[in-house]
Amino acid sequence: MRNPLIKRIPRELKSDWHKYLVIILFMVIMIGVISGMYVGHDSMLAAVYDGRESLNLEDGSFELSKKANAELLDGISSGEKADVKAYYINKGNKEADEEVAKAIDEKLNEQVTEAIEAGVRTQCAAYGITDEKTIQEQIDKAIEDSFDEALEKAKETEEYKKAVEDAYNEAHEEVIKKVDEEWDEVAERYNLNDDITPATVRIYEHFYREEAEDNNNDGVEDATVRIYKSDSEIDKASFNEGRAPEKDNEIAIDRMHADNVGIKLGDTITVGGKEFEVVGLISYVNYLTLHASNTDLMFDAFGFDVGMVTSEAFNRLRARVHYSYAYKYVNAPQTKVEQADYSESFLKSLITQTLVHDNEIEDYLPEYLRQASNFAISDIEGDSSATSILCYILIGVIALIFAIIISNTIDKEASVIGTLRASGYSRSELVVHYMSMPVIVTLLGAIIGNVLGYTVFNKLAVYLYYNSYSLPTCHVIWSDAALVKTTIIPLLLMFFINLFVIVKKLQLSPLRFLRHDLVKTRRAKAMRLPRWSFLRRFRLRILFQNMPNYLVLIFGVVFIELMLCFAFGLPDSLKHYAKEAHNMMFADYQYMLMDYLDEDGNVIETSEKSAERFSTTELLYPKKKSTMRTGMGSGGDESVTVYGIAKDSSFITLEKNTAHGVYISSAFAKKFEISEGDTITLNAEYENKSYTFDVIGITDYDGGIAAFLNVEDFNETFGKKAEEFSGYFSRNEITDIDEQYIATVITSEAITKVTNQLMHSMGKFMDVFKYALIVLSASLIYLLAKIIIERNENSISMVKILGFKNSEIGALYIVPTAIVVVLFSIISFFIGYRLMIWIFHAFLMQMDGYFAFFMSRESMVMSVVYMLIGYAFVSLVDFRRIKRIPLDVALKNIE
Amino acid sequence: MKEFLEIKDLKKSFGSGEARQDVLRGMNFTVKKGEFCVLLGPSGSGKSTLLNIIGGIDTPDEGYVSINGDKLEEMNEKELTLYRRKHLGYVFQMYNLIPNLNVKENIEVGAYLSDNPLDVEEVLTTLGLQDHKYKYPNQLSGGQQQRVSIGRAVVKNPDILMCDEPTGALDYKTSKEILALIEDCNKKYGNTVIMVTHNEAIRNMADHVIKLRDGVVRHNDINENKMTAMDLEW
Repeated sequence: MRNPLIKRIPRELKSDWHKYLVIILFMVIMIGVISGMYVGHDSMLAAVYDGRESLNLEDGSFELSKKANAELLDGISSGEKADVKAYYINKGNKEADEEVAKAIDEKLNEQVTEAIEAGVRTQCAAYGITDEKTIQEQIDKAIEDSFDEALEKAKETEEYKKAVEDAYNEAHEEVIKKVDEEWDEVAERYNLNDDITPATVRIYEHFYREEAEDNNNDGVEDATVRIYKSDSEIDKASFNEGRAPEKDNEIAIDRMHADNVGIKLGDTITVGGKEFEVVGLISYVNYLTLHASNTDLMFDAFGFDVGMVTSEAFNRLRARVHYSYAYKYVNAPQTKVEQADYSESFLKSLITQTLVHDNEIEDYLPEYLRQASNFAISDIEGDSSATSILCYILIGVIALIFAIIISNTIDKEASVIGTLRASGYSRSELVVHYMSMPVIVTLLGAIIGNVLGYTVFNKLAVYLYYNSYSLPTCHVIWSDAALVKTTIIPLLLMFFINLFVIVKKLQLSPLRFLRHDLVKTRRAKAMRLPRWSFLRRFRLRILFQNMPNYLVLIFGVVFIELMLCFAFGLPDSLKHYAKEAHNMMFADYQYMLMDYLDEDGNVIETSEKSAERFSTTELLYPKKKSTMRTGMGSGGDESVTVYGIAKDSSFITLEKNTAHGVYISSAFAKKFEISEGDTITLNAEYENKSYTFDVIGITDYDGGIAAFLNVEDFNETFGKKAEEFSGYFSRNEITDIDEQYIATVITSEAITKVTNQLMHSMGKFMDVFKYALIVLSASLIYLLAKIIIERNENSISMVKILGFKNSEIGALYIVPTAIVVVLFSIISFFIGYRLMIWIFHAFLMQMDGYFAFFMSRESMVMSVVYMLIGYAFVSLVDFRRIKRIPLDVALKNIE
Repeated sequence: MKEFLEIKDLKKSFGSGEARQDVLRGMNFTVKKGEFCVLLGPSGSGKSTLLNIIGGIDTPDEGYVSINGDKLEEMNEKELTLYRRKHLGYVFQMYNLIPNLNVKENIEVGAYLSDNPLDVEEVLTTLGLQDHKYKYPNQLSGGQQQRVSIGRAVVKNPDILMCDEPTGALDYKTSKEILALIEDCNKKYGNTVIMVTHNEAIRNMADHVIKLRDGVVRHNDINENKMTAMDLEW
């Protein structure tokens, strides 16, 4: 026979349908959204990972200052270190040989000339010629006639031959000695003495040009587009729409950028002064996010674009060619450790081979550190884990609400439980019975939620991803993670929280249930209250009676306030960042040059009067161990820009002498909690060099992680020549420097583009999120307030019989909840705000750069107001509920 | 009839120190199988406590209760639950029905516990509840609710039917009907009935009357002149 108690469950669901509807809806939406997120995210990741294979994603790339010759490419491909020592000796010998030859020639010329002169003078003396002018004429004539012959004769002599040999040998010995002397330092700098396991690679030419993009052909540059050839064999693109360019006036550009700036298939845009028809909207496998540089704080799909044109069209463009090469390992590394080892070996090979082939590395980046191909993936992965934590917290809150509901039901049904227990029902049978409802409701929520997750909400997730990243087209796939995280874990959470409460509650003996003696430790006397008015004391009693409800309510309110701080704070922070962008600049224009010399070796100058030279170098500040990414390059450590500032600079004032310390930016100080007087150690990225500085001051600059030295100290510290510099600060635009020498120009507009991108990615989502939070807070308060009133139905009915008016009863039973909600909305706001700052900082530590959390006063007020809007709605429902409690409730239940 | 229930030197007190109250002070009696036994006594005489101890939902300080030779004090909690499940049926003054189960289902709650339950339909007929079997408790009168409560206890076909003031909340006429029902069940199903009451008139329908006062047995009588419940007057 089936336990007849089971029949209670559907009836309970039916009789209290509005309560359970709220809970189930709550769970369906939570689980549905999370399931959708997982399905969307797993489907998207599957598409991305497929693309990494099918679109031939590089293992890394490097850029050289000039096109590599075949020998250099062969050398790099071999993965072997070049013999730098031999190169230096050869080079030294060559230079020494030239110098020796020159010295010998000069000496021999001198000796031969002297010999001829001496011979002529002897002959003149024999003929009695004393006129110096005549003698000199004779000498000049003799030199002209016989110098070459005499020189040849002299070179034939054994004495000469021996002298030359000795000179060369001596010079070569000197070169070897000098190289030997300096080798250790060079070898240490580049770790050249370490043995490496050669990482053989296949190298692909992957040149690009960066051209101005004019979206609406109005002659004004709207973005920078990085153009590749359409026939590239590496880092290919998938086509979201359209096709690859076939004619020389056709172009395919990034889908996300096109969406952002409103370019559609078939539109004509101007790139590098030439008009192109957009025939394809693409997602490059190595540009899932449009990071122009790996050190960019955030990608910029407005101001930066990638695209492809035919080889002919590429050759016709005018901007300088970036000699970028991508490589793939012949034997792919299997683990992350191997990946790091390979890239380290490869880098040594690259440095040495480039050096011995007289080329220079402009840039090097192993793929696993490449933001543009990894940022989206780690962000998508991070998204889902963050959202599932939110889901678990909410399910935890629901589980606690359930526990309170069940706990109240057990109180209410004490006599029945006592009778059942006395009749022989075991405790475990009753535990199972009371556990059924939360488990069934969770299961119901999970099933409906998952169905919606696979059919509706996954589209929302995919839409959000497409709105943020340049991703390939994806298809829905089955997600094990969704099943586990949206069904198993919520069920377990619900199960264990309720099990704990119910087991604890049902531990009492049947007799105590029959006697309604359910409090384990009963106070001998009721708590004495101050001599307040009767109504006030009455309210206080209600507050004490419902303490567990209020505790859950407070927990929920803190959580919702945290979410509200996020929903209001993130857009606020972005707006604040954009507003403060001009303050985050040293100068209105900051020009970074490729080199301080032009092609002809002349220093690059400008006639702009406000222009001021500065020097920079990039160093790394080790992050704490808690960072997500580790390894070499910019991913593992924080990239710090060290500036050498001109004396009496009109852009940055360094008051103290920087001979023994540095100034750091306020962003640097805040991010890593560094104060004046602390010591920081910065490491060179590709060299085994460390620099330790005392922090002598903090410069008010939130735009980046930076340190500042006087240019003299900068040059001395980093061994730079006095005339070297990296770029110009300027108040006005500089127009007289050839574009090919300019690496980047930073303006406040460039900074606001970053925030525009973020606002675009998540602006609308945040608005929806805010309204969802009002519903969430209202539902939570609704459930808990309902429990409080249900629990007091008898008393409410009784005070009605006694003659209290509905408004008075409302004041008695609604006001305590109102006080708790209002008070804790405010307190929770501060808790949520502090928590958000902490979470934001922790998040910031995972990435490069600095971005402060900011909330405007208006938003602070609004985040409390939103919560209260939710409550206002609930209190109306509560009042209606109180009005509807009939008078006979108290009369019927006379037990 | 042979001895079925034995109560030996049963003592129970509540509280401690000055507040200590001895409720049972050494109680001894036996009940035969199938007997209709009434425990009589004024408030505070210890009759409900005694019933709870016999029912295995309370424990004595000293002495023991033995049913069919099995001592309850030697049973652990699980065995006690099993004992109640297999051997006892409970009827309380308050009916304690499950509000969202109908009459039939409330009776099935008892049937579920038993290895050899009575036919639910038959019990419904016996109790005169056939016309009400699909009603919920709040649609029934107090007397009808108590019938359901008796049905829930009887349907298990328990060895002992424990009744704690089953007519305490009912009017005269309904009380007699309920008593008649318990009497019928006792006859029909042969359960031993132990009924706690303070109504002296009920003694007349019992086989065995035990009168308690101040925690001890004052009278332990076998009623030779049994009346039917419907003949009782008070």
